[in-house]
Amino acid sequence: MFLKEYFLDIYKATKSLLTGMKLTGYYFTHHKEILTEEYPENRKNLQLAERFRGEVIMPHDANNEHTCTGCSSCEIACPNGSIKIISKFDITPEGKKKKAIDQHIYHLELCTMCGLCVEACPTDAIKMANTFEHSVFNRNHLIKRLNKPGSKIREGIEE
Amino acid sequence: MSASAIIFYCISTFILLTGILSVTTRKIFRSSIWLLFSLVGIAGLYFWMDMNFIAAVQIIVYVGGIVVLIIFSIFLTQKAGEQMPKAITGRKVFSILSVLAGLAFIYRVISLNEFHPNTTTVVNANVSEIGTQMLSTTEHGFVLPFEAISMLLLAAMIGCIVIAIKSKPE
Amino acid sequence: MFSLEGITNFIHEWLNSHLSAIFALLAEFVLVGVAAIGLFAFLGLVLVWMERKVAAVMQLRLGPNRLGPKGIFQTSADTLKLIMKEALTPDNADKLLFNLAPFVVIIVAMLILAPISFAKNFQIWDINIGVLYVTAISSLSVIGVLMAGWSSGNKYSLLGAMRSGAQIVSYELSAGLSILTIIVLTGSLKISDIVASQENGWWIFKGHIPAIIAFVIFIIASTAETNRAPFDLAEAESELTAGFHTEYGGMKFALFFLAEYINIFIVCAIGATLFLGGWMPFHIGHWVAFNHIMDYIPSSFWFFGKTGFLIFLIMWFRWTFPRLRIDQLLNLEWKYLLPISMFNLLLMSVMAIMGWYF
Repeated sequence: MFLKEYFLDIYKATKSLLTGMKLTGYYFTHHKEILTEEYPENRKNLQLAERFRGEVIMPHDANNEHTCTGCSSCEIACPNGSIKIISKFDITPEGKKKKAIDQHIYHLELCTMCGLCVEACPTDAIKMANTFEHSVFNRNHLIKRLNKPGSKIREGIEE
Repeated sequence: MSASAIIFYCISTFILLTGILSVTTRKIFRSSIWLLFSLVGIAGLYFWMDMNFIAAVQIIVYVGGIVVLIIFSIFLTQKAGEQMPKAITGRKVFSILSVLAGLAFIYRVISLNEFHPNTTTVVNANVSEIGTQMLSTTEHGFVLPFEAISMLLLAAMIGCIVIAIKSKPE
Repeated sequence: MFSLEGITNFIHEWLNSHLSAIFALLAEFVLVGVAAIGLFAFLGLVLVWMERKVAAVMQLRLGPNRLGPKGIFQTSADTLKLIMKEALTPDNADKLLFNLAPFVVIIVAMLILAPISFAKNFQIWDINIGVLYVTAISSLSVIGVLMAGWSSGNKYSLLGAMRSGAQIVSYELSAGLSILTIIVLTGSLKISDIVASQENGWWIFKGHIPAIIAFVIFIIASTAETNRAPFDLAEAESELTAGFHTEYGGMKFALFFLAEYINIFIVCAIGATLFLGGWMPFHIGHWVAFNHIMDYIPSSFWFFGKTGFLIFLIMWFRWTFPRLRIDQLLNLEWKYLLPISMFNLLLMSVMAIMGWYF
């Protein structure tokens, strides 16, 4: 009984070791399985995953309209204060004052790409883009204004 | 002086120097390392004498076995890295005296012995020769001591197993 | 035909015709030493590169690929970097032993190189106890490790050294027994005799079942003796931050690193000599034409090819298997490898007496 277990142990161990070696041997002989991207060479046709988080952007449509209401949810959600909302007051046709976005300031140099601002946004005004080549010579270039000059909020978002 | 003699004196100096260092150093680990070098030097002397098998066995048994065991036991002791206290002067004097007495005794024995340089027969130190001699039952065979030592080692092994065996909880 | 034997004979004759006998001998010593160091440097550069490439491909990566074609010069650049680095000695280290240890390790590796037969009649020292000499000297390499671990004055290094000691002392047994299994067949410890006895077939084929078992045990035990993964408890990066060579940097670290690869080369060379016929070409029975074609491949190619195959096998192990725990390591040796290799040795002796081998 003891001997049977002993040899069974050896048999099982050999089998499991060979299984492992078979897999690595397969990888060794099949070079097309290699996952490495050679970055500067394949820059032209680089395919990044959809979920890759490079920086925060605010999409604008053809009429230069965005969906940001200036509610500051993203500013509150940001753990390291890399978003600053500067709001202004528009006068509606009825003569009322209405809060609106003036400048959406985004500090890329402070951002950790955690994506909490995107989750916090109630109107899906901002999202993460998958650009990643952010190096510049002057630090000030990293402070970005996300809403384009002259853009305004799309109709029907605030209702 | 031939090249062979120069090599002999180099090896002997090495053995003696490391031997003296191993007893005079005050760090216990260093002492074992010097002992090790001394034993390696003795193996080198065997190689010089063309007794390759003995040399290899010297290295396996003494260096690879015994000194490693000594080093292990040093590792397991506390304060292995600290310097040992200096020896008392009285003890030093007596040990030097006993060393000198031993030296004189050995010198006397060697000087009384007349060496006849044997140039005609070369000692055959082949492994196969040693093996046959070890198991031969003829006049100069070593089969009896060989078997006796085997029995001794077997007894030691069984003793180790008995000491190390786990007693089953009743 | 390309042969190393011709080159050595030519050098020997040239030296003897231009110098007196003793100076010719000294010049040969120097040449052999330079050749050994050159081989070390070459092996270090090539094997490290090979290891990184093998590791990369097995992990679906590319490995070094920038410096030179396929990154072949990466290891040379790394060596240059290591030379430039500061050789630091920690404050509470035993200075003498700390600085001596890497040299002990590398000198031991150099000594084991002596009896290895690289090609037909191309050998430094054809000592009559060849294999026993290798076993004996390789047991010295543990001393370097123990010295390094203890003199660093660091508990991780000490732990690594102790593990390494326990490991090498125990795995030496089964390595020795598996070597003995082949010695039973050859009847000689001399490397040239062992190679010559495999002229009509390698021992792994001629000795069939026990020879294959011995080969497997030898490979496992020699992987353990060289402290390679899956038996790399002595350096275990994730637990002991490199074990016995934690405190070493620069060239002193490089010597340990080099010695590891030299030791791999040596155990693989011994394995190739014992089981795969050393520099003997591959011959099949009475296929005269086939055997003749095989003879045309130079013997050094055969030797380095077989050794390279075994080195690849050991690298394959390293990048496939997870590390063992210390109790698993000792269980494997004392409960599995040692009893099996003892029975295997008995089986082989019976076979040798009855003549049940080819």
